[in-house]
Amino acid sequence: MKDRTANILPPEGVPIAFLISTGGARFGAQLLDIVITFGGLLALFFALIWAGVFDWSIIATLFLLTIFFIRIPYYIFSELVWNGRTLGKRIVGIRVISSDGGRLTPHQIVARNLMKEVEVFMPLTTLMSGTIEDDWVGLAMFVWVMLVLAVPVFNKRRQRLGDMIAGTLVVDQPRSVLMPDLAVQTRMRETGFILDTAQLEIYGRFELQVLEEMLREKPRTVEARERVAEVARTIRRKIGFDEAVASHDDWEFLSDFYRQQRQYLESRQLFGDAREDKFHDKANVAGAAKPSR
Amino acid sequence: MTGRGADQVDLIRSSRFRAEREAGWVELDRLITRTEKSGIVALSYEEAQSLASLYRQAMNSLSVARSISMDKALLSYLEALCARAYLVVYAPQESIRGAVARLFSRGIPRAVRRSALPLVVGFIAMFLGAVVGYLLYFQDPGWFFTFVPPGMSDGRVPGASVSYLRETLYETGGRDGETLGVFASFLFSHNTGIAIFIFALGVFATLPSFVLTFYNGLLLGSFFAMFAEAGLALDLFAWLSIHGVTELSAICVACAGGAQLGLAVLLPGNRTRRAALREAGRDAVKLIILAGLMLIVAAIVEGFLRQLVQGIGPRLLIGWGLGLVWLAWLTLAGRDPAPAPTPEPETDLP
Repeated sequence: MKDRTANILPPEGVPIAFLISTGGARFGAQLLDIVITFGGLLALFFALIWAGVFDWSIIATLFLLTIFFIRIPYYIFSELVWNGRTLGKRIVGIRVISSDGGRLTPHQIVARNLMKEVEVFMPLTTLMSGTIEDDWVGLAMFVWVMLVLAVPVFNKRRQRLGDMIAGTLVVDQPRSVLMPDLAVQTRMRETGFILDTAQLEIYGRFELQVLEEMLREKPRTVEARERVAEVARTIRRKIGFDEAVASHDDWEFLSDFYRQQRQYLESRQLFGDAREDKFHDKANVAGAAKPSR
Repeated sequence: MTGRGADQVDLIRSSRFRAEREAGWVELDRLITRTEKSGIVALSYEEAQSLASLYRQAMNSLSVARSISMDKALLSYLEALCARAYLVVYAPQESIRGAVARLFSRGIPRAVRRSALPLVVGFIAMFLGAVVGYLLYFQDPGWFFTFVPPGMSDGRVPGASVSYLRETLYETGGRDGETLGVFASFLFSHNTGIAIFIFALGVFATLPSFVLTFYNGLLLGSFFAMFAEAGLALDLFAWLSIHGVTELSAICVACAGGAQLGLAVLLPGNRTRRAALREAGRDAVKLIILAGLMLIVAAIVEGFLRQLVQGIGPRLLIGWGLGLVWLAWLTLAGRDPAPAPTPEPETDLP
């Protein structure tokens, strides 16, 4: 898996990581927008013609103006009003942000959407019309369209030309879910597996967070319970915890271990001893072997 | 209160940190959710104020949590919460009306005055095209058929009778107000599409914009030569002037916008190409907005006035008067008088 995060630095000076949208999500949003706008247009005009309230020439005028409006201005207005989201983007759950950490300016929105004309609509209409007499012209068009379409696929931040000119990024809408604090939960049950410092020396942050992910969900199936037991066994063997633990206490043991391990690692970190994973000892030894600066 | 305090003594440090601040985060989450659904107007004055301070507190929490907490779920929650809050707090705040007013009073005129070189490129493209088209026509009228697609000429071809050509310049075609409206909106929709196209193509090293504008010039030049051959030069000039001064200038301005992007790609100076593009985009976008505006005006003039105003004199007067108005706005609006005036859109006089 490629790293899809982009760090944005807001004026507050704390970098925030956004997840850059995948090509699929953006393609889907664009497709939805086209379907919504053109579908809406067709529906509207069938309704108008069917109702027969208006004169033919008024309908024609309206039609021509709407055709113009649903190409570029629709995207500009919807992104202005909904802060970087069109209807399609809202449904898919992606949005446009400014890559410089400031607010999204009207200029950026206009710039990125004007380029849509060559990046989206022109290839599309060429494809739809399908009337290219000359082979060479057809080939040149094809190559050119492919090149334009390749730009967002082959750059790291998935920017299309319009995004580069405007300085914008398309990212996934962040979703925040507050999970309970595991270290507090375990405190409520007064069970006592006490580990000593030597036993907490072994693991690092990575292992702790893997354990955290496992502890988020109580095992329901036999296999899951089996897995918990195995993890508990492995940890006990590794840290040299000799006390006998009944198999129904495995979960309690892991919870207690999690809490004490986290407390220990956090306090070590406060003292400048950040332990990334269980190889921290070797890393430290290797680091110490090098001459200090 | 005391019971709670006693509880917290037992908590580990990062849990205590969370317990102290959690209420604020939940409150912030609630405010953001409401704003995301129905906009910042949904909040009362006090809520909007507390949104700002809760946002800053959450950012602070995120920064601290990154250094003291190993709770992955908490970190990713705070990260997402801050990201959402950031997007709500740093949303575009200017009213659309204010932005538009600023654009017209200062933004566009200044952008035009700053982009002398691209504008020269745009107008030269059109002018060269017209000259080449004109000269080639007199060399061999057969060129006309090469330049002008058959659908466009509409019987106005070399060898057509003078009376027919004259008729096309002064026809009203029995058009009443309603069909004129359709015609004008068609012109607007069609021409704006072309202008945006010319503009957006400019990013590919200016050349496509230049070629398209040059081609438009070719069309113009060969048409003009054909009418001149029939002795209708002045009539055509008036017929073109009434809307063409605005419309052709708009095409040139769109080309200039494209050229600006292209020039940034070609000659980025000591910036990266991406940075140069971004910088050039500021003025280029304003140019294309100007072109769109001019095309709206041109479509109205072409759709209505050209059919209703028939004399040579009034047509010239309206067309070039309008041109002067554009020029005055672009050179004079927005603080001090311009050092570099825009080139006159005088491309079609031999």
